[in-house]
Amino acid sequence: MNSRAVPEILLGVLPIALVLALWQGLTSAGMAPPSLLPPPAAVFARLAQQLADPVFLGHAATTLFRLFAGFAIAVLIGVTLGVAATGNRTVEALLRPVVRVLAPVPKIALYPAFILILGFEHASKIALVAADAVFPILLATYQGTSAVEPKLVWSGLAAGTSRRKALFSIVLPAALPSVLTGCRIGLVISCIVVFLAEMISSTNGLGHLLVYASRSFETVDMYVPLIAISMLGLALNAGFNALRARLLAGFPEQS
Amino acid sequence: MNPRLTAVPGLPPLLACLGILALWELAARVFQINGLPPAHEALRQLPAILGDREALFNIADSMRRMVIGFSLALAFAVPVGLLMGRNRLVAAFFNPLLMIIYPVPKAALMPIIMLWLGVGDASKTLVIFLGVSLPIIYHSYQGARAVEEKMLWSAAAMGMSPLQRLMRVVLPSALPEIFVGIRTGLVLALITMVTSEMIARQAGVGNILFNSLDMALYDTVYAMIVIIGALGFIIDVLFERLRAWAVAWAEPLHEIAVGTS
Repeated sequence: MNSRAVPEILLGVLPIALVLALWQGLTSAGMAPPSLLPPPAAVFARLAQQLADPVFLGHAATTLFRLFAGFAIAVLIGVTLGVAATGNRTVEALLRPVVRVLAPVPKIALYPAFILILGFEHASKIALVAADAVFPILLATYQGTSAVEPKLVWSGLAAGTSRRKALFSIVLPAALPSVLTGCRIGLVISCIVVFLAEMISSTNGLGHLLVYASRSFETVDMYVPLIAISMLGLALNAGFNALRARLLAGFPEQS
Repeated sequence: MNPRLTAVPGLPPLLACLGILALWELAARVFQINGLPPAHEALRQLPAILGDREALFNIADSMRRMVIGFSLALAFAVPVGLLMGRNRLVAAFFNPLLMIIYPVPKAALMPIIMLWLGVGDASKTLVIFLGVSLPIIYHSYQGARAVEEKMLWSAAAMGMSPLQRLMRVVLPSALPEIFVGIRTGLVLALITMVTSEMIARQAGVGNILFNSLDMALYDTVYAMIVIIGALGFIIDVLFERLRAWAVAWAEPLHEIAVGTS
């Protein structure tokens, strides 16, 4: 860390403090009625109170479960298909047009179909999360694995490794930085989508709490799940970065 | 695949569409699920929807909001991103705030924004604007940061003012990266559009989609999914054309089509 870092952190805190100050100012000046914009102190007090409440934590746990289940499925499918497309030309020829058609489709529009087929429980939400997160992971894996230095593979093959083994023990590790970039994008997407899915149809989870609060005009309770999901996203991102730093310990530094 | 087949432009995606429809038809017939009508029954609804004045009006309405929100985001996000990329202090100022906002689902702000601005156009357009801005800011920032310093020095030596350098050196060289952000933004705009209309059920394609779900008009639900999917695909194809034209000189970037909402 250099000497310029400290003022820069302060500079970064400034807009956040400004937003909070504006928020506080609007409420205490009476410009915004508390039913529309509750004072920040009330929201954060409520958040602290909720974070100690097992019911709220239960909702958060449900959201997390759906998030990770969907994300895990997306990683599994995305990485497998991405590696297979690099390793096999037939797979690539089949996969490429399908991805070309399906990737730009807004997956949230598929949600009614998932509800109709999989029901209102966990499965439809997990399916939506997986459908949304799989494409960035698949594309990043494919791009990463197809950019791997061919000499690495040739050496492996010359040393007697089978093609399939070379794919998973040489190509995939070599493409890890790209795969992890895809995974991080997929993780943020999962975080967002699981919340939306719960808002649309659910009886539990953080998204449901927001919709429930909005239907009963509990304005303070509307802000709490939003802050919670933002914190969750930040925590997941930080955790992912730590994991990434460990996994990529031997790779050249990347921004 | 036969190389002669892949040589025809547009044929592989068309075959993929047909393949997906065939799979759908097959799955519906094999599993006989109540909630999954066969593909042909859903497709039969398409002319009815596309011939209905009100539905067309709704679709146009959605597109109008999306275009407005997207254009505003573009006008706002690109300059901010470029300035962040060229100035450490601007970057240090905005980065933490953007990091906090990034994981918030923008469409989830809809219930709160509705309290302030009502259920009409303003709140939906604002949500689209918010959703689209972030990826464009991020990619403009990355693009501007990667500009070759020597080019800026040369431009300065030629007597260009800082504003001229920004417009004539930084902007063009960041353009390929900006287009990556725009593509992400387009996907997002579409998602946010559908989601916001679904939360504020008043008009638009998201409204038709989820109202027909509530009324158990399953054929219409699936037909709307096909229409929204086709919209996404068409927008993507048009974007690719535009990009190929605008940054034909650039090496194709490694890009990851991202969809967040």
